[in-house]
Amino acid sequence: MSKPNSARKRWLISQAELETWLDGLAQAQTLIAPRDISGVVLYHPVAKSDEIAAGFTRPVLSVKEVFFPPTERLLSIEKTGAEIHLNETLPEGQTTVFGVRPCDARGARLLDAVFLDTAPADPYYARRRENTTLIGLACKEMGPTCFCTSVGGAPDDPTGVDVMLYPAEGGYLAEAISDKGHALLADAGWPESVVGGAAFSGGEHFPVPEKGKWPEHFNNDYWMKMSERCLSCRACTYVCPTCRCFAVRDEVLGPGEFERIRCWDACTGENYRRVAGGHKPRAEKGERLRNRFFCKFYYYPEQYGLGSASACTGCGRCIEVCPAGVDITEVLMNLEKPA
Amino acid sequence: MNYEPRIIAFLCTWCSYTGADTAGIARMKSPANIRAIRVPCSGRVSPELVMRAFDQGADGVLVLGCHIGECHYDTGNHRAAKRLPILHALMQFAGLEAERFHLDWVSASEGERFSRIATEFTDAVRGLGPVSWRVGPGGWKAAAESLLPPDEEVPMPALDCAGKTDAIRAKAKELLTNGEVGCVIGYEVGPRGRTRPTFVYSAEEAGRLVWNPDVSNNLASYLPIKLKSKGKEAPKKVAVVVKPCDSRAVNVLLAENQFARDQVHVIGVTCEGVQDGGGNLQVRCQTCSERSPVVYDTLVGEVPADIHAGAITQSDRLESLPPRERMEFWLSEFDRCIRCYACRQACPMCNCPTCLYERDDSTFVGMGIGLNEKRTFHLGRAYHLAGRCVGCNECERACPMEIPISLLNQKLAGEIEKAFGHRAGLTVTPSPIVTILSGEYKEG
Repeated sequence: MSKPNSARKRWLISQAELETWLDGLAQAQTLIAPRDISGVVLYHPVAKSDEIAAGFTRPVLSVKEVFFPPTERLLSIEKTGAEIHLNETLPEGQTTVFGVRPCDARGARLLDAVFLDTAPADPYYARRRENTTLIGLACKEMGPTCFCTSVGGAPDDPTGVDVMLYPAEGGYLAEAISDKGHALLADAGWPESVVGGAAFSGGEHFPVPEKGKWPEHFNNDYWMKMSERCLSCRACTYVCPTCRCFAVRDEVLGPGEFERIRCWDACTGENYRRVAGGHKPRAEKGERLRNRFFCKFYYYPEQYGLGSASACTGCGRCIEVCPAGVDITEVLMNLEKPA
Repeated sequence: MNYEPRIIAFLCTWCSYTGADTAGIARMKSPANIRAIRVPCSGRVSPELVMRAFDQGADGVLVLGCHIGECHYDTGNHRAAKRLPILHALMQFAGLEAERFHLDWVSASEGERFSRIATEFTDAVRGLGPVSWRVGPGGWKAAAESLLPPDEEVPMPALDCAGKTDAIRAKAKELLTNGEVGCVIGYEVGPRGRTRPTFVYSAEEAGRLVWNPDVSNNLASYLPIKLKSKGKEAPKKVAVVVKPCDSRAVNVLLAENQFARDQVHVIGVTCEGVQDGGGNLQVRCQTCSERSPVVYDTLVGEVPADIHAGAITQSDRLESLPPRERMEFWLSEFDRCIRCYACRQACPMCNCPTCLYERDDSTFVGMGIGLNEKRTFHLGRAYHLAGRCVGCNECERACPMEIPISLLNQKLAGEIEKAFGHRAGLTVTPSPIVTILSGEYKEG
C-alpha cells in the first residue's frame, strides 16, 4: 500500500483547524464537498464546513461532474437578420473540491487522458481542470461494494490530488502532493509535522482478466446471459467516474437565440449508436453491456496507452445503483470460467 | 399595475376560434393578452403542448373546445375533457396555481361567452402575477432537506418463505420439464446476497429460484421484451413470478396488447410486503390493498390478513402545502435527477420503443440535463402513466438519486379513481383516458 512520501511535506492538523481552513477556502472561492442533499450525498457547493457530510462511503455521483458536468453549454448563438454570432462560453472561477476519494481522483486522471492528453485538448474540461484544486481524503475502510484494491488502487492512494488528507490520531495528516497543493498548505501556516499516518492494509483482492485476454471473450455467451436482467438504463454509466460519452445538440432558446450543449450519454441506452435509417449496431442488451466492460478493460487502455491498467477505478458505484443487480465484480470473476 | 400576463389559448377551429371571431364582429371586448393558436379540435391539444407552453414562459393556458355532444369529430372533445383535468391536477400538484389553466366549451355562435371566459381568465391570471414555472438561467438553489417529514418506519414482519420458494421451484421445474414454457422469470440471490431477477431455461437450474422479503423487482417489466424477441432461441411462452402489484401490471400489459394471455404462465404469489434496505416494510407496501395476485395460472401461498392499514401518505401531506412550497419541493427533488432513465426502464408500463422525451426530433423537451427538462420529463412520464400505473414503485426504488417519483403516480392514480372509478390492472382494462367508449369524466 502507498505510504505518505517522506520527501513531501506533512502537517498534522486537528478537526477544528481543518474546519477553519475550509471555511476560509469557501470564502475565497467555490468550495465543493460531499453534502447531504435530502438523504443523498453529492459533491455540491458548500458555504461553510459544517455543511459537509461525514460517515458515508462515497458520494453517489463521482467527482467527474465537476469537470464534465451533465450539461455544458459549448456556444451561445445569436442570429440577427442574416448575421450569426457565435460566442464562446468557457467556465470561469476557481474551485476547490474537498473530500475527493482516491477512486475519484484516479477517475479524473483517466478522463485527462481523453480530454487533455489527446490533441486537440477539450477547452471546457481543460479550463475547469486548471481552475480546480483537489483535496483528497483517504478512506478509513472500504465500503461494501468497493474493490479499488483489485484494479490497482488503494483507499489511501494520493495520486491525482493536490493535497491528501489521511485520518490520523487527533485529526488529519495533510500532505502536499502537487506544487499547487504545496502552495495551498504553505499558506495555511500550520507547523510542519514528522508524524506518519497509518497506511491502509487489507482490502479484498480478486484477479481481473488481463487486457490481452479480453479479445477472446468477445464472443462469449456469457454476455447475453449476464445481461438479461439489465434494464438498459444509464445509471451505471452516469455514476461511473470514467464513463465519458456525450451527445451534442443545438437547442432553440428564443427568437434568434440558440445554444450548443453537450450532455452525458451512455452506451447502455437503447438508442445509443443508432444510425441513419434506424439501424442499431448494438441492438441487444448483451452487446451494449459487453461494450461497457470492454471499454473499461480493453478499448480504453488500448486507445490511451494505459498499459496493463484498466479504466475502472473500483469505486463500486455501478454495483450499488443497478436496479437489477448487475455486478461488475461478478462479471470479472466469471468471465474466464468455462460456460 | 403594469403587469400584463401572456396567455396561450388553444382554440378549436370548428367552434371557439369562430366564436372569437363572432365576438370580434359583434365588437365585444376581449383581452389582448390572448395569443390564439388555432387547432383542429380540442382533442388535438395534447398535454405535452400545454406543458410546453408553461415551460416556455406562458402565464396561463386556456383551452376552448366544442360543447360536449357537438364535436366535429364526434369524440375529440371527450378526450380533452378526460385528459386535461388530469394534467391540470398534476401541474397543480407540482406547484402551478390552479387558476393558470382553464378548459371550457364555446360554440361558434357564442361570441359573448368567449369574451366573458377570456376576460375572466385573464383577470384571474393577472391577479396572480407573473408565473414562476420556468426556471431561469440563474438556476435554482435546492433545499438541503426534504420539505416532507421522512416516511413512517414499519418493521418488516418475520416471514417463512421456505414453503413459497419450494412451490415456485417445483412449478418451474414442472413447466420446464413438460416443455410448456421455454423460460421462467423469477428471483435469485446473487453475489453479495442481493436478491435480483433471474432467467431460468432448464429444470436443473430451477433450484436457483427463491422467494424472500427482498423480492422487489417487478418482473412483468421483462415480459414485453422477452415475448417480442425474434431470435431462434426466443421462447414462445414464458412463466413469470409475480407479486400482487406485479400481477396488476400483467393485466395492464394484456389490455394494451403487449402480448397474448396464452403466451404467459403467471405464477402468482401472495404477498405480505417486501422490505427496503433498512429492513423496514417498503412504503408502497404500507398502503397496499392487494395481498393476493389478481391474475395467475398457479397460485402460491395463503392469502395473508391485512398487515398494515394505510396511514396518511406523503402525497396527502404535500397536497396540503401552498402551491409555492409544492413547487419548491419538486424543484429541489428534480434538481438531483441526472436523466439516467432508471425510473422509466424499471417501469413495466414504460415500453414505448423510443420514449417521447428521448426522441432526437422531440419538440416537447430539450436534450439538456437541466431543471426545466427534468421536470418536463418526470411530469410527462407521470401523465403517461395515469390510469396505467399499478403502484409497484419500482421507479422510485431504481432511482439512484432517491427522488420520490411515486408521489406523482399516486396523485394521478387517486385522480383517476375519483373521476372514473378505475384502478389500473385490477381487470384487463386500458386506462380510461386513452379510451372513449366507457368511463366518461364525471365533474368533481
